[in-house]
Amino acid sequence: MKGLRETFAHDTWVMPYLRKYKGLLILVLFLGFMTFFSGGALMFNSGYLISEAARQPSSIIYIYVPVVLARAFGIARPTFRYIERLTSHNWVLKIVSDFRKKLYQTVERKASAIQRSHQTGDILSILADDIDHIENLYLRTVFPMVIGWLLYLFIVIGVGSLNWVVGLLMLLLLGIIVIVLPLASVATNGVREYRQHQIQHEFYTNLTDEVLGLGDWLISGRYDDFINLQKKPIKQIAQLRKKDHYFQWWRSFFVQFVVLLTTITLLIWAANSFTATKSLANWVAAFALAIFPAVSPFLNMSQGLSEWPVYRRSIERVNQLDRDQPAKVDQNQLEGHFKELKIANVTFKYPDGDRNIVNDISMTIHPGEKVALLGPSGTGKSTFLKLLVGDLIPNDGQILANGKDVSSLQKVRSSLFGILDQQPYLFDTTVMNNVRLGNTNATDDEIKDAIAAVGLKDLIESLPDQYNTEVQETGKRFSGGERQRLSLARILLQDAPIIILDEPTVSLDPITEKKLLDQVFDLLHNKTIIWVTHHLAGIAHVDQVRFLENGHFDMQGTPQELYQQEPRFRQLYDLDRGK
Amino acid sequence: MSRGSEVLIDKRLFNLPGMRRYVIILGILVFLQAIAIIVQARYLSIAIVNLWNLMPIGSIILPTSIFTVAFLCRHLLTVWQNRVLFPFVEKTSGDMRESLMAKIFRLGPAEIDKRGTGNIVTMALEGIDQVQTYLMLVIIKMLDMSITPWLILIYILFIRWEQALFLFIIFPVIILFMVILGLAAQSKADRQYEGYQHLSNHFVDTLRGLSTLKQLGLSKRYANNVYSVSESYRTETMSTLRIALTSTFALDFFTTLSIAVVAVFLGFDLLDGKVMLLPALTILVLAPEYFLPIRNFANDYHATLNGKNAMSAVLDVLHQPEMKQRDELPDFKWNQDSMLTLDHVNFTYPETTQPALKNISVTIKGMQKIGIIGASGSGKSTLINLIGGFLSPDKPDQVAIDGHKLPHLDQAAWQKNFLYIPQNPYLFHATLADNISFYVDNASKQSIEDAAQRAGLTEWIKRLPAGLDTMIGEGARTVSGGQAQRIALARAFLDTDRKVLLFDEPTAHLDIETEAALKKDILPVFSDHLVFFATHRLHWIGEMDYVLVMDHGKLVEQGTPAELAQKNGDYVKLRSEMEASDL
Repeated sequence: MKGLRETFAHDTWVMPYLRKYKGLLILVLFLGFMTFFSGGALMFNSGYLISEAARQPSSIIYIYVPVVLARAFGIARPTFRYIERLTSHNWVLKIVSDFRKKLYQTVERKASAIQRSHQTGDILSILADDIDHIENLYLRTVFPMVIGWLLYLFIVIGVGSLNWVVGLLMLLLLGIIVIVLPLASVATNGVREYRQHQIQHEFYTNLTDEVLGLGDWLISGRYDDFINLQKKPIKQIAQLRKKDHYFQWWRSFFVQFVVLLTTITLLIWAANSFTATKSLANWVAAFALAIFPAVSPFLNMSQGLSEWPVYRRSIERVNQLDRDQPAKVDQNQLEGHFKELKIANVTFKYPDGDRNIVNDISMTIHPGEKVALLGPSGTGKSTFLKLLVGDLIPNDGQILANGKDVSSLQKVRSSLFGILDQQPYLFDTTVMNNVRLGNTNATDDEIKDAIAAVGLKDLIESLPDQYNTEVQETGKRFSGGERQRLSLARILLQDAPIIILDEPTVSLDPITEKKLLDQVFDLLHNKTIIWVTHHLAGIAHVDQVRFLENGHFDMQGTPQELYQQEPRFRQLYDLDRGK
Repeated sequence: MSRGSEVLIDKRLFNLPGMRRYVIILGILVFLQAIAIIVQARYLSIAIVNLWNLMPIGSIILPTSIFTVAFLCRHLLTVWQNRVLFPFVEKTSGDMRESLMAKIFRLGPAEIDKRGTGNIVTMALEGIDQVQTYLMLVIIKMLDMSITPWLILIYILFIRWEQALFLFIIFPVIILFMVILGLAAQSKADRQYEGYQHLSNHFVDTLRGLSTLKQLGLSKRYANNVYSVSESYRTETMSTLRIALTSTFALDFFTTLSIAVVAVFLGFDLLDGKVMLLPALTILVLAPEYFLPIRNFANDYHATLNGKNAMSAVLDVLHQPEMKQRDELPDFKWNQDSMLTLDHVNFTYPETTQPALKNISVTIKGMQKIGIIGASGSGKSTLINLIGGFLSPDKPDQVAIDGHKLPHLDQAAWQKNFLYIPQNPYLFHATLADNISFYVDNASKQSIEDAAQRAGLTEWIKRLPAGLDTMIGEGARTVSGGQAQRIALARAFLDTDRKVLLFDEPTAHLDIETEAALKKDILPVFSDHLVFFATHRLHWIGEMDYVLVMDHGKLVEQGTPAELAQKNGDYVKLRSEMEASDL
């Protein structure tokens, strides 16, 4: 229980929504209760009906009410169940909409515009799964548990009002099923679940490792090693599953055993209290028949609750997201045209890092200038870009656009910076919609012009759906070069004064690369360009080259100057040209 | 029902080894259980009727005891059924998991890549778990449905045929309604499920594209889009769900109402004295039991369907054809006189019509350095994969080693002779030393250190916390692209038995400084090796003895770099397209 309190101590994901949709929630619980109530009442009523009928009363009037009730409960049960299912699904789906928005907003606050790969996709999938888990928490655990408890209370109070001793016995016996066993299951399963999670995780990572390195395994001919590596976790998983199954089977059996005890208790009670008169004895069958449908919702409560550890991890993970949110900075407007971007003595170190990634860097960039930034991977090129656009805040120094700190210009950032990176993302929608993202107010003609400018007009118009062609998941309908050009069209529409090129050609072959670079610098000739690149192809397009190494610039100048004055640059350039 | 069973049962289920025997044993257990159910109902009714007759408590001791025994037997039989079935299911699914692993190995990286690493791993882990659940569920449920209701019905027939007839007739009616309402709705629900996947993908899609949205200044506004897409999905789902749930509703409605109808008719019959209380009560107690198996069967529709699909998917992979004849080539060592011949080789990827390699003929002898160049999509990588045996030529006998004509190069004896170094060499989650010595059994520490030294790793290793014993790879210390290439290089230095090196764009993604430094360390390994080097970085060509120029799957030119430079053909054209201008 302590764990439960901890989980919900700073919860913003479960409780608030229970409160928000309180009305519907109560309706769901009521309908669920009525479903099982009707099920029990049908058998209760039927038992009474035939017992009374067997007395052969003089008139049909005596059984008229039970006859009507039998039909009523017979129809009520499935109807309540039907409505309950619809209502509960509707309720959960409403919550899911809220969840998705909330998750999106939480992730959005921390996201950076500078991204080198989509690795984070895995983490995001996990988060999306967490949302599903919380959905299941309601449908599979919360609703059945609460409905079960309501029914439990009803039975105990109902029987208790007739005979408090039997009521007390019901409280104890059924309490074993609805309270003790579920809690015991969580306790047992909590430990096992943890272990299982560990082993599965190990198996999962090992197997991924093996499959990704399959080529090496194959060539090395180590077939036996390959197979043996997985034998242990496979066996461990099998053992855990076995324990899990055995536990579940015997638990179900035990639940049934308690049901049996309950039935016998009721029979004995009936034998003692209902055999005084004939009319009283008619109730014996009623109670005996009602017991089985009445306890049916209790049978799966243990299983429902034992899934709690899985849900708990999900709840904790999404709640974790709310922490360490970045501090808010007062926002400003950029007045007039872009005049200069000034980087003044900027130093930056990651909180968990051991060295300054950027160390006292200063430079000023004026409108129309083209700057190339080079350096081996890991020297902080992308950190530098993140600082530049304001996704990271320097420890020391300032980055100023027209004299205003970029961190205060975040609201108007897209009118200042356009970014083309390694893998610009195309959303799973049409070409038209994807390009329109550059400027949502653009007309269809403006979009077509932008597509024509990047040289994709003929290609797109040759497709059966033309501008309404679906780009498919992550834009895989198009080649790498085409995706880059579609993104370039987006940037043309965006029309920001400063364009950041973050290794846009790294996954392209030299011919495509050359064409794209020629096109980029041609179309953006009047923009300011800051270009991070990993080699020297197309370097003639820029008027300034800077090498970033160990947090500062160690070679800088025009490409021509560097070629003439710096042997290292000359050697690299010649190598890049294939000499 | 036949449609329903087809949907939920893969025919191959019955071909699983030992299945028949288990079906018979379980059939007997289910049969015994049905008898227990009848006995339980009968004696509960007797106890109730005795009390109804105002008999003393002593009169119910015997029937209650028999009821108790029957009740316990019934539930013990459930446990027993599971325990009987479980070892079979465990073995079947365990074997399946192991065969899947073996299959993955035999299918090789090209095939696995096509299916997606994630898919294969999920299949081996969750897929097999689902198969296990499916097998546990479906066999017992099927038997339960085909034995229990009918035994109960026969018993009721002996008590009172009118009610038996009613229950018998209502059964196909229920199934009919379930089929009519259910199948239509179910197919809609299945489509809805796809829609759900789509929505879930849309959400992940949005999250993944977040940095792009941020770049475009749209990320804040997009939150409302996320909400409205989700909400419109909800309305859509609810309208479909309303129909989809009718299938369950129909089943529920008819079974519950049938019980009510049975009760009412029994009431009237009792009233008229046509039947006694005991038989009437027995029928009433048995009526829900009669419907229970079909309700159970219908209840877990989606869980069962998922399990069935998982099993079909696993079986499909296991039955996937694989390369055979892997031992056509006798053991040999590549040396100065060895010869590899490709004779008019074509290769077509499955499910495409255009061959990716057309009519490739080339003969390679001894230790040479072969450069393979061409624009992207020209077939460089396909050629390397074919030489590595990951892909098989369209026709046999077009490749040969030392005059042995072979169906393909996926030959164990050939694979012992080469190392394959791709753009991103894979690093295992293991120590650096284990990664370097992956190809060599029992390599000494000294030899590993030497290999690392020659690959230019020493400086880096000195800075690692545990030196050569540092864990690298997924989830451990990340290794830059340049260092990964060096580790692959160290493997080549360490394994002196493998005389053939296949490089596939090893430096394409490296920055120019790293590449320049790496080149110095790669060049020494070229000597005394047969090297295939596919690249579009032109400076490597100067180091090659012989160049193959690829264009649209064809080998358009071959010769020494000097010969090709003089020809003024495709090679010269390609170079001029790739080369940057003077500064």
